[in-house]
Amino acid sequence: MTSGSRRVLQAALPVLATVAIVAPLAWLWQASRVPGVYSVMDMGHLDYGGGAAPEAGGGHGGHAPGHVHQPSVPSRMITDLVADPTRPADVQVDVVTRQQTLTVGGRAIPGFTVNSTSPGPEIRARQGQLIEAQLRNESVADGVTLHWHGVDVPNAMDGVAGVTQDTVSVGGEFTYRFVAEQAGSFWYHSHQVSNPQVAGGLFGSLVVTPKSGIAQQLEVSAIAHTYGGLRTINGKAEDLREPAQPGRRVRVRVINTDNGPIKAWANGTYRLLAVDGTEVHRPTEVSDRSVTLTAGARADFEVQVPGDGTAVRIQLSKSTAVIIGPAGADAPAPPQPDDELDLLAYGSPAPLGFDLAQPTRRFDYLIDRRPGFVKGRPGMWWSINGHLFPNVPMYLVREGDVVVMHIENRSGEVHPMHLHGHHLVVLARNGVAASGSPWWVDCSTF
Amino acid sequence: MRTAYKVLAYLVAAEVAIQAMVMVWAIAGLSKWVEGGGVFDKSVIEGSAETGAMPFPEVLGILVHGINGIFVIPGLALLLLIVSFFTKRRGAIKWALIVFGLVIVQGQLGFLGHDFPLGGALHGLNALALFGVALYAGRRLRVAAPAAVEHEQARAATPV
Repeated sequence: MTSGSRRVLQAALPVLATVAIVAPLAWLWQASRVPGVYSVMDMGHLDYGGGAAPEAGGGHGGHAPGHVHQPSVPSRMITDLVADPTRPADVQVDVVTRQQTLTVGGRAIPGFTVNSTSPGPEIRARQGQLIEAQLRNESVADGVTLHWHGVDVPNAMDGVAGVTQDTVSVGGEFTYRFVAEQAGSFWYHSHQVSNPQVAGGLFGSLVVTPKSGIAQQLEVSAIAHTYGGLRTINGKAEDLREPAQPGRRVRVRVINTDNGPIKAWANGTYRLLAVDGTEVHRPTEVSDRSVTLTAGARADFEVQVPGDGTAVRIQLSKSTAVIIGPAGADAPAPPQPDDELDLLAYGSPAPLGFDLAQPTRRFDYLIDRRPGFVKGRPGMWWSINGHLFPNVPMYLVREGDVVVMHIENRSGEVHPMHLHGHHLVVLARNGVAASGSPWWVDCSTF
Repeated sequence: MRTAYKVLAYLVAAEVAIQAMVMVWAIAGLSKWVEGGGVFDKSVIEGSAETGAMPFPEVLGILVHGINGIFVIPGLALLLLIVSFFTKRRGAIKWALIVFGLVIVQGQLGFLGHDFPLGGALHGLNALALFGVALYAGRRLRVAAPAAVEHEQARAATPV
């Protein structure tokens, strides 16, 4: 090699090495960018879970190159998936959303209100009634929607901005109509830029009572929420006190509207009546155990006010409690139990109503984190089955399919998950089969 | 380029020092807040990240640690590696690679600590190694003879 060509090589090598590092990064960055407007129906790749490809109603438009194109069959418009439009509403409520400063625990926190309060008003209905909520966005600049968390509503009413409807801009309106088929404890919240909007208070509780009524003499709703680091119940950074006669049995509906799990426990015995709006089959008395409510989860406790004039107390984390008893009665905070109530073995088994021996489809859902680019931004991102957004699996099922999903979290961090329009029943956890009441959830932590 | 190399190496070392400082600052703030009756859980920290309202001001330390650790330090280490190709000093690339490797290990140990807290202890130990190596990488450029000049001299002495 001549000294000239050696010099050229010496000059070129650092440039080549730089290109070898920068070019793959630039390519990964470029590949991770998504257009300003895209359809979630074209996102990721189809996963049939080993079952047949659904022939009709496949919504995967497949307009983007490289995506699977579905046979062109007449599919139903999402806007057609509504409750009977001719049926009059049984429960009507006006919902007005505003962007405003909240006062929580003496502190001013930028947030959102529903009908001037946060949480918004509790919406109540009896099972089978048609709820009609007229949403008007007065001043939330980013727009709002309402999602009925835990209620299997017709899809057009699900309130997911950009998926089931367009966001409701300032001055806009949207009418939600659905029949409350399930009795239980639920909540509603905005599903447009939901992280800041829910954290900032754009939500409220929704209670559907069974046709036959409830067995307890009193019921209390307790929404646990953290506003700017302040733990609250029903919007107040203090204990919730509910007057009740000695001996009364009370149903306490606890709703966790935070992004992290909380633990709840009582100073005496309790029964856990329902999880995520579904009744537990034959719940037994529990003592010295805490119940974990993951993000978005609900738990209905039954407690009895003691006969000796003291109060019953349910701790919602260490900071706040629901205290129920005669006026002036108090109860010291019980210590946090070391053990958790294991819902895998709580209550008694009951038939599920479908055959699990031959599931129609099986899916894997592996949660992890890895370095990479998402929407052009570098970071340590969550991945599904090893891939980053938007390259996520789209699980395709047909109505009536029995689906078994294996969910594994290798990230080392808690990941809450919430299902829209569906519920799942836990079959096994870490290889241990469920042995208690069917454990139905719409929110879970992995 | 040598100046850039030195500056980047020192910046990595300085960032490691900042990372240690903000963590202890955050933990001290947390203890003070807990002493005053505050309760810390996942919702408290996530709520502060989402709404910008801090339960106690030192929470900022945790957020800064995350941003520095995920974005700033790996970025600096990568730049250091690229700059090292152009410094024409013997060992510059090697030490930039070691810094980069330790940064990657540091990130992995940090995330491992979320699941296995003992990984967090190693994260603390590896931080000292990274600090020392980054400092050395910067300092050795000051004292080492320029490798390119050595080559030129050697070539001049050899009849072609």
